[in-house]
Amino acid sequence: MQLSAGNHAVQILHNISFEVSAKQVLAIVGPSGSGKSTLLGLLAGLDQPTCGSIHIHNTNITALAESAMAHFRRQYIGYVFQAFHLIPTLTALENVALPLELQGITTGEERAKTLLQAVGLEKRVHHYPIQLSGGEQQRVALARAFISQPPLLLADEPTGNLDSATGNLVIDLLWQLHEQHDSTLILVTHDTTLAARAQRILTLQDGTIVNDASLTT
Amino acid sequence: MMPLPLKLAWRETANSWSRFIFLFLCIALGVGAIVAVDLFATNVEQAILGDARGLLGGDIELSWRRTVSQNGQDVLDSLSERKIIVSHITEFAAMAAVETNQSHDQGTKAVSQLVELKALDSFYPLYGSLIVEPAHRTEQLLAPIQSDCQRLPCFGAIVQKSLLIRLGLSLGRELRIGQTNFIITGILGKEPDKIATAFSLGPRVMISREALVTTELVKTGSRIRERYRLQLPSSTNLERWLGELRGRLSQEGVQVSSYRDAQPRLRRFLDQLTLYLGLIGLTILWVGGIGVACTIQGFITQKTPIIATLKTLGADSSQIIAIYLTQSLLLGSIGSLAGGILGAGLHQGLPLFLQGIIPETFSMEPTLAPILRGIAVGTLATLSFSLWPLLAIRSVSPSLVFRQDIDRAAKQSKPRSWPKELMGTVKDWWNDREQRMTSLLITGCLLGLAIWQAHSLSLGLFFSGAFIVSIFALLCGTTVLFWTLRHIHFPQKLLLRHATSNLQRPGNFTKAMTLAIGIGVMLMTTLITVQHTLLDLIEDQIPTSAPSFFFIDIQPDQHASFKQVLETHIPDSPYNLVPVVRSRLTAINGEPINPEDHKGKRNGWYFTREYVVTTFQSLPKDNLLTQGQWWETTQPQKSSNESTAQNNVPLVSVEEDAAKNLGLSLGSTLTLNIQGVPFVAKVSSFRKVDWGSFSMNFFMIVEPGSLDGAPITYIATARVPKTVEIALQQAIVAIMPNVTAIDVGDVLDNIAMIFRQLAMGIQALALLCLITGAMVMIAAISINRYRRLRELAILKALGGSRGLLLFSLGTEFGLIGGFAALVGISLGCLLSWSILYLFFDLTWALNMPVLLTGLLMTIALTLITGFLGTYRLLGFPPLSVLRQE
Repeated sequence: MQLSAGNHAVQILHNISFEVSAKQVLAIVGPSGSGKSTLLGLLAGLDQPTCGSIHIHNTNITALAESAMAHFRRQYIGYVFQAFHLIPTLTALENVALPLELQGITTGEERAKTLLQAVGLEKRVHHYPIQLSGGEQQRVALARAFISQPPLLLADEPTGNLDSATGNLVIDLLWQLHEQHDSTLILVTHDTTLAARAQRILTLQDGTIVNDASLTT
Repeated sequence: MMPLPLKLAWRETANSWSRFIFLFLCIALGVGAIVAVDLFATNVEQAILGDARGLLGGDIELSWRRTVSQNGQDVLDSLSERKIIVSHITEFAAMAAVETNQSHDQGTKAVSQLVELKALDSFYPLYGSLIVEPAHRTEQLLAPIQSDCQRLPCFGAIVQKSLLIRLGLSLGRELRIGQTNFIITGILGKEPDKIATAFSLGPRVMISREALVTTELVKTGSRIRERYRLQLPSSTNLERWLGELRGRLSQEGVQVSSYRDAQPRLRRFLDQLTLYLGLIGLTILWVGGIGVACTIQGFITQKTPIIATLKTLGADSSQIIAIYLTQSLLLGSIGSLAGGILGAGLHQGLPLFLQGIIPETFSMEPTLAPILRGIAVGTLATLSFSLWPLLAIRSVSPSLVFRQDIDRAAKQSKPRSWPKELMGTVKDWWNDREQRMTSLLITGCLLGLAIWQAHSLSLGLFFSGAFIVSIFALLCGTTVLFWTLRHIHFPQKLLLRHATSNLQRPGNFTKAMTLAIGIGVMLMTTLITVQHTLLDLIEDQIPTSAPSFFFIDIQPDQHASFKQVLETHIPDSPYNLVPVVRSRLTAINGEPINPEDHKGKRNGWYFTREYVVTTFQSLPKDNLLTQGQWWETTQPQKSSNESTAQNNVPLVSVEEDAAKNLGLSLGSTLTLNIQGVPFVAKVSSFRKVDWGSFSMNFFMIVEPGSLDGAPITYIATARVPKTVEIALQQAIVAIMPNVTAIDVGDVLDNIAMIFRQLAMGIQALALLCLITGAMVMIAAISINRYRRLRELAILKALGGSRGLLLFSLGTEFGLIGGFAALVGISLGCLLSWSILYLFFDLTWALNMPVLLTGLLMTIALTLITGFLGTYRLLGFPPLSVLRQE
């Protein structure tokens, strides 16, 4: 993966090759600037690699056009951001139901309510993001990521903007939802205790994998 | 459940409506102008088509410019026998005199006033209603009065209020017209068949037909208009009647019109007026569209993180474009709705500028259809102007959720030479199917709007072409400005450098601001230049030697006494007193002329008009012989009587344009109908006439003696000094009440006033265009207000005083204004030159004071607008701004 800035081309990721089996939990760790988030973005099809290919669910996503990639993302990928990225003009309930609405499903409200209940926000369904705390916003984001029951869930520093108590709550919920929905979970984190809960840890440094360790639970 | 795009669009708009205020205004001003003009056009249509019978005064009107001949009377009598109601009206200009009580040492004195007399019969009006104060029956108000009069015969009269004001009269007072006294019994409110009050010679006075006879004003050769209005049974075939009457009256020189073709001139004038006002409205809407495009582009840039988030959630570009397109249309329709309301308000103000031009009975009731049409036009324009910036959504990468757009920054940091840049843009456009389709759609929408508004394919295309050329010229101008600024270095002035580099910064909308302001300046410059040139023509180019008074209807037996009055009152001023007859052309070279064949055709009026024929021994001054010979050189030895007797056919000299349009050559014979008697003359010469001399000029002059025995009257012109005007008029009214005096100055002042009033209306609308330009500028400034706020905070933190920052901002906005004005004024000069040269055949003159005022006012406008958009930013404490970052 190469990015250009000004007249300089920066090699962010190189010689990356790995496979993740279904339902596995994989943590990607590494120092700042090692390319963790870029790798996650590539897996979500948010960026195009300059060379190589990525296969998810037997689909080469690097070969998909923009519109096909959007459709693929809707069906197969859930994403949780460090900065939550909720739509400020939609309520918690509407934010959660948004991925379904984008698929043309307009009856997702009940499912969204169930998910909000699962993350403990049943009393905050009609609140706007600005009326929610950081932890609550991230829980809404979790519910949103799971509403389409995607087989692959990607989480980018999901606790990075939260204090440790709230962070732990969010992680417990993340694990809980992952187990309930049988999804594959790939998360990027700085947090070693969080990484230790994963089945496998991939360590990145200067854009390349320096360690790939499987943990037994 | 509300669909997602609508839900998001509605929430976004409701949450930050204040951000879209300028977008609303940009659309509302354009739609307002279009709706106001469209509402007026609908009123015109309704008034002229719906109330056509009222405006004509009947189903059919037969109109003579002289007393009706025996044949004509026979036809009219036969109509009455066939149960057709015929209403007879006589109209002409006359002098009304009032005896006023002066201070006791001066006794009584007569004051006179030119009035437009209208004699009514009991059938008037056949259609519509006459509104008079007090609301008594017309017959009762105009009836003979036996007592309370100083002299008999005496009748009641209905007069226009302006006569009361001019002569200091009130109801119940007495005035004298001709040989009859009248007591004012009513004040005229609305006259159903009055078209335009502005072009009248004086206030209206209505009297009965019985009273008219007693005035003894109608004499042979008097300048009168006899109107006979017919009311046909509803089942009658109008066309059959028209055909029959035109056939039976073909040699009468009578104008036969039906309510269906009534008021063609007024209708054409109002149609043209609404068309051009409508195009100004469309220009305003398009200028406002630039503001829409800027706002949408700025909005999309600000919404980039949300767009990226939506993309990560699986939304494809078309879904996101649908969301923001819905929002644009929502904003556009709200703006258009506001525009509809604004338009209805502006429409109520239009009569201010059209007083006297539109009929008195004209209704200014607003109707719903133009408002709905305006809202549709506004929404369509919003769609056209927001589609292009919305395409940028496609290039927003979803990876922006976690990384700044390095790729785009890299792209912008590599400057390319402009030919390469242009080639690159064209190539990208060609390779991008969606861009191609969108540009096609936008072009289609805008062209459609222009053609619809112009009511013609060619005018719509011409208008769009002119708009594109103006935009292109303004864009080229801005590019030159950027180039110049890049090559001027301001080493000592950091803030000056900051201001000029701000202008060139990507996303600053400098070009859009210059465009929006420049188009308004161009429009104003064009209108003001054309108006000045035309007004100069009316006001300043009248030669000082031109006569100031015209006297008409002087009877042959009054010739000597009239001469004597003139010589007594203005012994030192020259005057002209010439005999005239009124006539109509009935045949050329023996071929009869059918006026119907020439009606409505270009220059067809040469065949249908009334010709006032005179006779001169020698070629009058301001006339130049272009072909043939004048009679004094052809027959110097003979007396005029001899020449006529010998040739049996008198000679006529014809004005060259008339000759050309009538297809005459030397030796052609003309047959004129003089008060029912045919008069044949042979064309002996052509003349070029200087009509601008305001002297007595004629299309046809016959050789002396040939009018002997014809029903002649005399007309006179004189230059009357201001000091003796009143005395002269009083003297004439006292002994010759039938003679009408027309003050040339009054007539020209009246025309200039109407013209100025109309021009003011058009300019007021064009001013809206400039205001819209200012709105676009505020919209563009407000899009970047956070960036500006940060920069100002940094400059303040580094020690920049408020004064220095103001200087920097002033330089930036002043440069935009100065440049937009320079290019706009240049384009306006070019446009006004082409209009004056191509349409009016006039020379264009550089009017430096007007242009300089335009330049300074535009700079002032942009400075004020710029400060209105930024003054609040200057007040923020720098620390709070920088901390928020």
